[in-house]
Amino acid sequence: MIDIAPDITLSGKERSELIRLLGREPSTVELQLFDVLWSEHCSYKSSRPTLKEFLPTEGPTVLQGPEEDAGILHFTEWQGVRYGLVIAHESHNHPSQILPVEGAATGIGGIVRDVVCMGGELIGVLDPLRFGDVNGKRADHSIAIARGVVKGIAQYANALGVPNLGGDLFFDRSFDQNCLVNVVAVGLVEEDRVVPSAVPRAATGEKYVFLLVGKPTDSTGFGGATMASRVLDGEETENRGAVQVPDPFLKRVLNVALHDLYDRAQRRGIPFGCKDLGAGGIACMASEIADRGGVGVTIDLDRVPLAEEIPPFVAAVAETQERYGLALPASFVEEALALFNEEYDLPSIYRGARAAVVGEFTEERRVKILFKGETVCDAAVEAITTAPVAARVEGAAPETAVTARHDLPPEKIGGALLAMLASPNGGSAEPLFRSYDQEVKGNALLRPGEADASVILPIHGCPVGAAFTVDGNPRYGALDPWAGGAHAVLEAARNLACIGAAPLGITDCLNYGNPEDPEVFSQFRGGVRGLCEAVRRIGLRDDPGHPIPVVSGNVSFYNQSETGSAVAPSPVICMAGIVLDGANVVTLRLKEPGDAIFLVGRRRGDLGGSLYHDVVHGDRAGAPPRIAWDEETAALHAVSALVGDGLARACHDIGAGGMLFALAEMIVAAGALPAGVSQIAPGATIEIDRIGTGLSPAETLFCEAGGFLIEVDDKGARALCAAAERGGFPVFRIGEVTERGALEVRSGGETIVNLDGACLFDAWDGALRGVFQGV
Amino acid sequence: MRKIETARRGDRERRPIAVIQFPGVNCEFETARAVRSAGFAAEVVRWNRTEGMLEKYGGFILPGGFSYQDRVRGGVIASREPVVGIVCEAAARGMPILGICNGAQILVEAGLIPGRTDKVEAALAPNKMPGRTGYHCDWVFVRVDGGASFLSGALGEGDVIPLPIAHGEGRFVSNDAELFPALLGGGQIPLRYCTAEGEVSAESPVCPNGSLLGAAALCNEEGNVLAMMPHPERAAYLYQVPDRIGGAWGDRKSALLEGDASDLFRPGPGAVLFDAFCCAAAEGVS
Repeated sequence: MIDIAPDITLSGKERSELIRLLGREPSTVELQLFDVLWSEHCSYKSSRPTLKEFLPTEGPTVLQGPEEDAGILHFTEWQGVRYGLVIAHESHNHPSQILPVEGAATGIGGIVRDVVCMGGELIGVLDPLRFGDVNGKRADHSIAIARGVVKGIAQYANALGVPNLGGDLFFDRSFDQNCLVNVVAVGLVEEDRVVPSAVPRAATGEKYVFLLVGKPTDSTGFGGATMASRVLDGEETENRGAVQVPDPFLKRVLNVALHDLYDRAQRRGIPFGCKDLGAGGIACMASEIADRGGVGVTIDLDRVPLAEEIPPFVAAVAETQERYGLALPASFVEEALALFNEEYDLPSIYRGARAAVVGEFTEERRVKILFKGETVCDAAVEAITTAPVAARVEGAAPETAVTARHDLPPEKIGGALLAMLASPNGGSAEPLFRSYDQEVKGNALLRPGEADASVILPIHGCPVGAAFTVDGNPRYGALDPWAGGAHAVLEAARNLACIGAAPLGITDCLNYGNPEDPEVFSQFRGGVRGLCEAVRRIGLRDDPGHPIPVVSGNVSFYNQSETGSAVAPSPVICMAGIVLDGANVVTLRLKEPGDAIFLVGRRRGDLGGSLYHDVVHGDRAGAPPRIAWDEETAALHAVSALVGDGLARACHDIGAGGMLFALAEMIVAAGALPAGVSQIAPGATIEIDRIGTGLSPAETLFCEAGGFLIEVDDKGARALCAAAERGGFPVFRIGEVTERGALEVRSGGETIVNLDGACLFDAWDGALRGVFQGV
Repeated sequence: MRKIETARRGDRERRPIAVIQFPGVNCEFETARAVRSAGFAAEVVRWNRTEGMLEKYGGFILPGGFSYQDRVRGGVIASREPVVGIVCEAAARGMPILGICNGAQILVEAGLIPGRTDKVEAALAPNKMPGRTGYHCDWVFVRVDGGASFLSGALGEGDVIPLPIAHGEGRFVSNDAELFPALLGGGQIPLRYCTAEGEVSAESPVCPNGSLLGAAALCNEEGNVLAMMPHPERAAYLYQVPDRIGGAWGDRKSALLEGDASDLFRPGPGAVLFDAFCCAAAEGVS
């Protein structure tokens, strides 16, 4: 139990500002409360001005921008009802570094609340993950964290009954002492049934009370927000209390009961508000929901169900999991209490869990907290919800690095490909796909691993699919922060194009080191600039001229080791898209022998930051691929339309690993059969002289300039060539799908690569089996 | 198949199917949806709403999930709930009962499956596969040997059906070495894991959990209670089938590209199990 107030992280200046706001010395509860509120995690004090300066947050696809718990994108209309996609993104990096299983599980637990409290029915989660080097000096530690994190995500999401819709995996030594565990949750909501995170305006007419429901409050997660707002100091055991305790079982029942409550209130036209309890616990949640409703709140801590005896400053701000807060009219509250406590019987299924009235909303715009008859907090609502801004200094831009050109004789290209497939950053994530429930809810159309983006049909009977992908390449971010942001968005847009989806919007998670360091702060600014340029240049496929909007997100700073080295700048993007006809989506595996294989996009020999340089030459310097904006964006919209019209048989984007790596993936994907591999077929033969680049074979085959490989029949081929002509981007008919399950590359009249499908499959399939064994 | 047509025609007079929502289950809504697609009314019924259940419903489905967090062992706590007493009563009256995944675990823990004595005779133990343990989510093939169960007649003997599994404790076992051979002889193992070509195996990777005799489902002697580990509700429509499984169903899925959007919601390989269940419910209490 925590009984002594821990250190406060507020700066001297912030403390003076607090005294000025209150007109007196703060109480212990107030000090704890403001410590959380003004932490980087809650206030975005270092990042807010930059985000406001650059990110487009509005547009024809936006129903709800970033100011709520989650963003909402217009999705589709079906049988007279308009539906939106609720989408939220969070990081749980520090907790996962300290206690991987619990830290990652509560990451999922927290992000799903952001979707559910908006009225969204949960339809999926995604998990972009960055771990330390599994072959380096701290390999055992990195492997233990990777296993624990995957286990935590699987345990929580599987039990909650929410399918995994994808993720990505990256291993690098910059994450040795600071893993990144980003989590995305998505939901479906009827647009006129969105639940506001505000006390309804009607509250000024009728008395509204504050109903707290869920797990009894305890000291777990106390100090979580402040922990996330500083560098982990190596005293990891001291921080363990700040990690929350997950319970997906209780959450499942709570979510079902909450949706039942929404339904009853909405059917009867009763206005109400709901918000989840996350950072800053009861005090923060109540202040924010009151502020957004233009009212105040009085919280009575003596009425808060507790799991143990805890002091008031803990009860007020602890981040105990599995709780929601509701603003309900007094006339509806008895029914709500009965629903949670009797019908769904929370107290019987989890010790101490229940719904309880713990306060009321007031016309007077003050936040008051009472404890044993005394007022332990009394502050103006604006004082609590007005976040400070921390001016940060931007360092000089890093010098542009020169990229070495490592070539390979043609006969060594096959071996290089196998090494890349067998590397942790190139191998199959199959062990994760089998640990996560991809099927629950029964909406799966394309699962993670089957194609470049996953697709679900969330409305039964409606053929419109919702597509999702997460992307971000820390190798690029490390070399050029701007390119890290820009390429993350481009890669995500290409992934959606491969399955015929048009982008709707983005939720981002921006992971960096200590923003007080000018170099790190300039990395952050650079990443946001790159991201911003890409969303504007690409734009909405079906609404040209509008940038792809950013509707929610998260900034995670202080991802840095105790010795001071920051993680590779890691802007991570989740892009949501729409597939108009689910019958036209395609998987990435090759299908019909005799079909043509086309390359879309010029090969330019960009090898800086490539998987090839890293794995084969151990060189991680240089500059990331240049971006030919006009050609690349025209190509990705054209490919998206072509696939969306049902004219492609298979499609895969060229990104990390380059063209040969992408083609190998299109062959080995056929091997992931349910009952083990019997036979890998079909295969492919390509002739690289048809590209005519003037580059060496290795430069052509491993260049990471953005592009696509597409399998088409004759009709599809004609359509693709016509689209290329119209769009002004290059396409090359480089080869065909073959009966034999092998990969053959020809150049100068000779076969330079000839690899058996089973050989490719074994390298790729075995890459991560050891790392994730026993998860 | 004629039985199914008859059942569908008569569905308006039939009593609805109850899908029981124990705390922690998570497949109740898509399971009810699959029942409705089979032409029957379905209601999701909370575990503590037991009044008048026997009279109101024509059959019971215990859906998948993690009832009571799999405390002790999957299904143990839920099997002690009063509502399971009602399910036992319904079983004794001959009503069809289907347990899917966690629901199968509950039926086994309640002693309804295999139901040869009053005792719990079998269990669903943690998965056992070479090189890995624990939860496993994938598509598998099962071979139908309807035997005593309500599947026989509705499903063809020897049919091979692709279905997804997702469980950590799906290995049918027993302390009694003679039990499973006896169950097989008595037609009480209606679904067994097999290759795409229909060859039954108890070995990994064909059998994903180490189940005895490759059992994917067991039924009681009377055949009206069925406990299965695969999830037919996740294979109830064509769109849910991954094209990578190949064979007839994979081809049907691939052909969607040339087809029509409405084909997405045509019956998938799991639909036939709901048809068989509803058919049994339509025949009513014997």
